[in-house]
Amino acid sequence: MIRFLLRRLALTVPTFVALMFVTFMMIRLVPGDPIEVRRGERGISPERLAELRHEMGLDQPIWKQFVDYVWGLLHGDFGVSIITKNPILQEFLHLFPATIELSVCALLFATIIGIPAGVIAASRRGGVYDQTLMGLALTGYSMPIFWWGLILILIMSNTLHLTPVSGRVDLIKYFYPQVTGFMLIDSLISGQKGAFPDAVRHLILPTIVLGTVPLAIIARMTRSSMLEVLEEDYVRTARAKGLAPYRVIGIHALRNALIPVVTVIGLSIGSLLAGAVLTETIFSWPGVGKWLIESIGRRDYPALQGGIMLISSIVIVVNLLVDLTYGLINPRIRHAR
Amino acid sequence: MPVDVTLPVAARRATPPGPLLAFWHSFRENRGAVLGLIIVSIVILIALFANVLAPHDPFEQFRGFTRLPPIWVEGSSWTYPLGTDALGRDMLSRLMYGSRISLFIGLSVMLVSMITGVILGLASAWFGGIIDVIILRIMDLIMSIPSLVLAILIVAIIGPNLTNTIVAVTVVYLPRYVRLMRASALSELSKDYVTAAKVSGVGPLRLMLVTVLPNCLPPLIVQAALGVSDAILEAAGLGFLGLGAQPPTPEWGTMLADSRDLITSHPWVMALPGIAILITVLAINLMGDGLRDALDPRLKRS
Repeated sequence: MIRFLLRRLALTVPTFVALMFVTFMMIRLVPGDPIEVRRGERGISPERLAELRHEMGLDQPIWKQFVDYVWGLLHGDFGVSIITKNPILQEFLHLFPATIELSVCALLFATIIGIPAGVIAASRRGGVYDQTLMGLALTGYSMPIFWWGLILILIMSNTLHLTPVSGRVDLIKYFYPQVTGFMLIDSLISGQKGAFPDAVRHLILPTIVLGTVPLAIIARMTRSSMLEVLEEDYVRTARAKGLAPYRVIGIHALRNALIPVVTVIGLSIGSLLAGAVLTETIFSWPGVGKWLIESIGRRDYPALQGGIMLISSIVIVVNLLVDLTYGLINPRIRHAR
Repeated sequence: MPVDVTLPVAARRATPPGPLLAFWHSFRENRGAVLGLIIVSIVILIALFANVLAPHDPFEQFRGFTRLPPIWVEGSSWTYPLGTDALGRDMLSRLMYGSRISLFIGLSVMLVSMITGVILGLASAWFGGIIDVIILRIMDLIMSIPSLVLAILIVAIIGPNLTNTIVAVTVVYLPRYVRLMRASALSELSKDYVTAAKVSGVGPLRLMLVTVLPNCLPPLIVQAALGVSDAILEAAGLGFLGLGAQPPTPEWGTMLADSRDLITSHPWVMALPGIAILITVLAINLMGDGLRDALDPRLKRS
């Protein structure tokens, strides 16, 4: 186990180094020198330009700049935003809870609906339920989620007035301090009447939109995994013993069918955290995805660089953890390779 | 006389169907897949003949007829069957020309990333060692950056337009082909017929391309079909964020983003491009599912 762990850890090191290199090169490849972007249209004197260059370390040889960059990253220095002048790490950590909250809700939504849907479809193979559910799943998988979000806003918010259009909280009615950064928790702590339902209402549509594709993937995966397991001998034995069908499907088959599903869920955490870009943009959800897009619009390249570095690092670490847990659950994975 | 009739029938039954026919038989059984194939064919025909089929020029602005609704809504006009957008451009014509762009993006992304992926995957499997490690690490890196973020990063560096969208999405989808190709090439390389070919003196290039590659094709074809629909979605997403094709190009994602402000007053302007994306992608995925079941039963999971 220790060897498996060490080998898996060692494999991520070159990926991290390459990631640092790519993000480092990125800021040098974008059109417009960082200084030029900063000085705007008014222009500045050559002396001030040289001074700024020296300040940002741009007069150093390129390898030295890279070493400095890596050194900074290792010490938690992800650069400073051109626009707000705040450290990127601070801005990121301020916005990240919003993205986590949304991603966790979306994943819960996808799992809670996706697994039963897959099980029902598999147990009624070829029937009306199966065809309807799988048709819906494929539609969900094919959904352009930015359009889906707008359609839901149109129906739920503009026509039926059930949910708010955007944001995380109704700022006119409720104001409470950010303690954890998670609105569901903060609104409860605040003790304001109606604050928690308000936070929930803001979450519903973004959760559905972000959860749609994972929901479809989980449902399809559960179905095919169940179908495979239902053919196994031990399921036949359980049936022959005279166990009730729900026991056979719910206990004997589902447990074994869930192994590949759990992996899919684990691996989609990483893509959810970042796939929130479109969802956050549509619902003006103040998370890291929307912040990244806005950074492009503002030509705030250091923020883009730091943000991509941080998100990708998180995805690498999450995927590593999923892999390790999987190795723990399933010894066959550990010994293969 | 009856002998003459029965013999050819019996003889026909005796010969096993060719691989293409066998494939078609099992593909045809899947009704969804056939439906997908029909819709995809229609979309392809629309794209090919958009200049003949479209009632208007997609860029022409009919200033007197802005924001007309589609024909099933009151106040519409048959001159503009699906209505007009905020600038008075005919929606139907724009959607038809948009299918050209979306299919072009989907197909070119698929072709470029598949060909590059096949070459890299074969190289990785054949050479092994340091080349294998380097290729795999690069693919790991690409996959560790979330796809849309990576596409955004690439577009931010090289600038937002149609060609660069294709470049960005191609890079994003490269790893799947490389890994798929490498895995199936590795498993083929250990088989006896490859050893036999090696012993008989076949050169490495011929061995990889003529002997091994055809046996790796089925999963690759399935991946390619699904790759087209994913690429269309990804490119539309970039277009929606303003980082793909630029207005006035009638790209579906860009059209959708353009009409976001009309969501409450004139929802169909925003709804129609989305429906076009959904139908196209869904049809390709239906077809892809059928392809997978027909070509490679082993892949039925996922």
